Amino acid sequence: MTAAGDFKRDLLGAIPSLRAFAVSLSQNADRADDLVQETLVKAWDKQSSFQPGTNLKAWLFTILRNEFYSQMRKRGREVQDTDGAITGRVAVHPAQHGSLDLDDFRKALEQLPEDQREAIILIGASGFSYEEAATICGCAVGTIKSRVSRARAQLQQKLDVTGDADYGPDSIAAQVLGSSAV
Amino acid sequence: MSKSKNPPQRQANGSAATLGPHSEIGRKLKQYYDDLVTEEVPDRFTDLLRQLEESEQKNSDRKEGQ
Repeated sequence: MTAAGDFKRDLLGAIPSLRAFAVSLSQNADRADDLVQETLVKAWDKQSSFQPGTNLKAWLFTILRNEFYSQMRKRGREVQDTDGAITGRVAVHPAQHGSLDLDDFRKALEQLPEDQREAIILIGASGFSYEEAATICGCAVGTIKSRVSRARAQLQQKLDVTGDADYGPDSIAAQVLGSSAV
Repeated sequence: MSKSKNPPQRQANGSAATLGPHSEIGRKLKQYYDDLVTEEVPDRFTDLLRQLEESEQKNSDRKEGQ
């Protein structure tokens, strides 16, 4: 099989993940598929710049993410909320413990700022390490950690779950406790 | 319920312990995402890749012919 054939096969294999990431980012199925299409075309054109043996999925996610933000800039940033500004706007009813409804979760996720949403998706769902997520997003590892932490705190607040009892206070609570103790 | 139906596969690389299987948020996040990943891939993408491959094939044939 040719190198191009291998590359094509690998691209095909990555499509389900790319679509999931695209939907998570854009919150719109049609736009997501356009993003995936653009990503595949760009990846194909740039395939000589991909180093075999490195993480193809991370490389593709980077292309897709860049495409998403580039389209957003072109559209004039129609929707963007600063961190925390939307907290509490959702009327998500508290679920019974352990039976949080997936639709409620989806609504709460939609309302996160994009940078937090992408961070928590990359780390909590797509299977990337903090280092990989930082490379994909072009930022520091600490920035990813902080975004994940804020995203998680917001989701917990919106959905009225604590969920981290097994791990002790989360980093935000720790920071708050720490600063008030000084 | 402390046992998750989907056992953690992500502990190995050390990320997201706080989004792990004991966290309600972590579980929902995986469920949300897995629903998306398991959707059937539309034909437009397999068609697109076939076209890209074919056009590349044509280009290289042309070069060889010259």
